[in-house]
Order: sequence, then structure tokens, then C-alpha cells
Amino acid sequence: MADDVVKIKSGKGVLHINFLQGATFVNVRKNLEEKLKSGSGFFLRGTVVLLPRDVFSAEENEELQKLFHEHGLICRTKTPEEAEMLIHNAAAKESRQIPKKSTKQDVQEMLVVNKTLRGGQEIRTESSVLIVGNVNPGAQIIAGGSIDIRGTCRGMVHAGATGDTSAIIVADHLMPTQIRIANLIARSPDAIEKSNRAERASIKNGCIIIEPIER
Amino acid sequence: MSEVIVITSGKGGVGKTTTTANLGVGLAMQGKNVVLVDTDTGLRNLDLLLGLENRIMYDLIDVTEGRVPYKKALVRHKKFETLYLLPTSQVKDKSAVNPEQLVKLCDDLRKEFDFILIDCPAGIEQGFKTAVAAADEAIVVTMPEISAVRDADKIIGELGRADKDNIKLIVNRIRPQMVESGDMLDMDDINDILSIDCIGQIPDDTMVVTSTNKGEPCITMEKSSAGQAYRNIVRRILGEDVPFMEFQTEGFFEKLRRRVFGK
Ligand SMILES: Nc1ncnc2c1ncn2[C@@H]1O[C@H](COP(=O)(O)OP(=O)(O)OP(=O)(O)O)[C@@H](O)[C@H]1O
Ligand SMILES: [Mg+2]
Repeated sequence: MADDVVKIKSGKGVLHINFLQGATFVNVRKNLEEKLKSGSGFFLRGTVVLLPRDVFSAEENEELQKLFHEHGLICRTKTPEEAEMLIHNAAAKESRQIPKKSTKQDVQEMLVVNKTLRGGQEIRTESSVLIVGNVNPGAQIIAGGSIDIRGTCRGMVHAGATGDTSAIIVADHLMPTQIRIANLIARSPDAIEKSNRAERASIKNGCIIIEPIER
Repeated sequence: MSEVIVITSGKGGVGKTTTTANLGVGLAMQGKNVVLVDTDTGLRNLDLLLGLENRIMYDLIDVTEGRVPYKKALVRHKKFETLYLLPTSQVKDKSAVNPEQLVKLCDDLRKEFDFILIDCPAGIEQGFKTAVAAADEAIVVTMPEISAVRDADKIIGELGRADKDNIKLIVNRIRPQMVESGDMLDMDDINDILSIDCIGQIPDDTMVVTSTNKGEPCITMEKSSAGQAYRNIVRRILGEDVPFMEFQTEGFFEKLRRRVFGK
């Protein structure tokens, strides 16, 4: 959405919220409310959200904070330093092993995970992800970019979670419980058989489609 | 070189305690010095399976809280003299022992025993964290059904997080007929998800229950199929390469008849 009045950037498990220049409070509030209600994968309970401090008045900021609290998120306004700094959080635990360059423009960056993700484990990143291993039932990946799984995917995968509709999901055996790309959701059929070819999920004409690929 | 092995599962009631008792007896039958540590505080029953309930004087919490030295709390098995039990308390809750206490206790036990087997409570709460803290190796017990396998998967993830990388799998209560008819997961399905080294496949066997009542685990029973599976696991733990047994679903003649006459 190009005319979004709210921009969300995720870093190390913390969500940084920024407002479009000149956006009115009413519009921002409405937009945030819609985003929270839509249940986007980014707004998981317990996530820390940082708001810019000096765009709106203190009362208005408070109102926004309350809105996030109602949805189970932890919301603070950020100091000017925090606007620069990315804060560490438990949700980023999995990405800890990977040395991360502090490049600002990190959309092209790729997180590489050399293990099987087991039930209850989660990876959340603003970049793309390469998993060398399986993604088991009950595991989940939420990525700002694309997701590549060199193994069997049986968990929940969300690519383009910040709204990138060109993100794709590739796996050697793609049999997830749910696939999400940007704001679209595809549920698996109730009986999935194991595919023998690698498959790719992407958005075409406003739908998630899955097609076999060579690799 | 002694080994500390925790027997764990995630889901309850899949056979951790049964496995701990059988492997303990089996290793003792091979002449090893073995101690079984029950950490399932409040739900103690390892002593029952070994027929030792009436001999308990002190328990794990008396030891960790420093009231008695561990030697005083150990209960020797009536029949297998190199097998000891360190029972847990019937009354306190699972947070009564902390990981550091158990690590220290196991370090003491290592001086005297070849094998220290820890029977873990179900779940992934504090009791689990305490039980795995001291272990060199973990045995994950599961059953051939989806919920048990998913819980085993979570446990394997948790063990990885606790830096326990030496993990073995035991699949308990297999019912060959149900596997054959597709009503129960088979080993391929289970390996597909868990992908860890399997050291045992144990059939469902009523002798497991009858032996419990006698206070002597089924591994001592020549005719028990679960006992045979446990004997094989003991040999694998001791480093032997033992092939997995074929489960008998139907007699040879029945199979032949079916093949010849169709049905
Ligand atoms: N192979 C088997 N065949 C038949 N019954 C079995 C078998 N293994 C275990 N059982 C039975 O299943 C029940 C649960 O076993 P057990 O107490 O060993 O499980 P557990 O994992 O220790 O349970 P908890 O989580 O409550 O500690 C017992 O009644 C036991 O007799
Ligand atoms: Mg038990």
C-alpha cells in the first residue's frame, strides 16, 4: 500500500512505527486500528512497539499506546536515540547465532538457519530466510522477505509480512498448515500428500498460487 | 566413565517411568552399577514398578536440602544388587529441587555408578528443566500417535536449547495391526518429523501391566515382547549393533494363505 500513513519496520523483535509526513491523527489511528484488527503476523502479543514521540501530542500518543495495549502489545514512545537503535528482544533469539551487519538498508539481507525448526520454535525477521532443515508442525516463520526451505515445510510460514506482495516461499516439500504472503492467507487442504518436487508459492492475480519448480 | 541419561517425553503417560525401570534392571543384569533418580516429585511411582515402595526411608528432597547424605536415601533393589533407587517425595511439588542441586548430586553419583538414569516429569516446565540439567544424554519416549510425536518434537527443540545434543528416541506401545491398517503412525512417519536416532521400538504388551503389579519390570520376562525390545535397547546402549525386531502381525501360514487364496 503506497499511501499507507503508517510505516512499520521490524528490527530485532521490536516494531518501529513511523508516520507519513503530514498524516493526521485521525487517519493514523484508523489505519493502526485496521492493521491490528487484521491480525497481521507482526502484531503478536507481547511484541514491543515503539512510537515516534514528537509527531502527536502527549494525549494522542497515550491514546495510541492504549490501542496497542488492548491488543496485547507493549507500546512505548521512543527517544531520538531509540529511533536509531534497534533493541534486543527474546523474539529475535533464533537470529542471534547469525552475525548481523548493522546496515541500515537490510531488506536484501538473508538469515540462514542451519537446523530443523521444531514445534514451538519461531523465527521472525525483517529480511529473507533460508532454512537448511525442516520446518515442523507447530513451528513458525514470519519474514519480511522471502522464505526458502531446503527440506520439508509442515509449519506456518508468512513471507512478505510487512506487505511485500512479491515475496515467495519455496520448499523441497511444501506441506504447511498455512501459507501467508503479505496479507493473503492460504490454508492447506485437509489431507496433504507429500509432494515429490520442490514447489513455490507466490501471489498471482491477487491469489496465492503454488507451482512445482526445478532446482 | 559414567553416563547420566534423562528419560523424557513431553506428553504424559507414554512410558517414561516404565522405560526407566526396565533399562535400569536391564543394565544391572549386565553387571553395571546403576542408580535411578525419580524427579517426578508429587507423582512418585518408579518405586512401585520396582517393588520398593515399603523400603523408602528418605527421598531426593531430603538429600538436596542437605538433611541426609545421598547414601542414606538410596534403596537397593531386592534382586539386582547393583541397582539402586533414589526415590522422590510423595508430597512436595516439582520446584522443590532446582537444577544446580541435581547437577551437584549427579556429580557425586558419578563417582559410584556407571549409569545414572533420571525419570523426568511430563511437560516442559521447571521440573523438566531440572531433570535435564545434569544429563549427558537424553532418551525421548514417544508413542505412534500425532499428539505424542508433536510433543516429542517440542521436547527435542527444548533439549537443543539447553545444549543437549545427544538425543535418542524410543517409540513405545506400537500396535503392529494398527500400523499395518494405517491407523497408527509407522516408523517412517515418525522419523520424517523427528529425524533423530531411534534406539528402540517397543510393542504394546499386556505383560508391561502385569509385571508392574508384581513389582518386577517386564525386561526380566523371557516371553514378554516388550521385554525383548527393552533387552535390545540395553545392548544398544552398551554399544552393540542390534537389528530391530520384526513385529509379528499375523502368522506365517495366515500370510501365505492370504497370498494364495486372496483374503
Ligand atoms: N509397551 C507398553 N505396553 C502396554 N502398556 C504400557 C506400555 N508402556 C507403558 N504402558 C502403560 O502405560 C501407562 C503409563 O506408563 P508410564 O507410567 O511408564 O508413563 P510415564 O510417561 O512415566 O507417565 P507420567 O507422564 O505420568 O510420568 C502405565 O499404566 C503402563 O503400564
Ligand atoms: Mg512417570
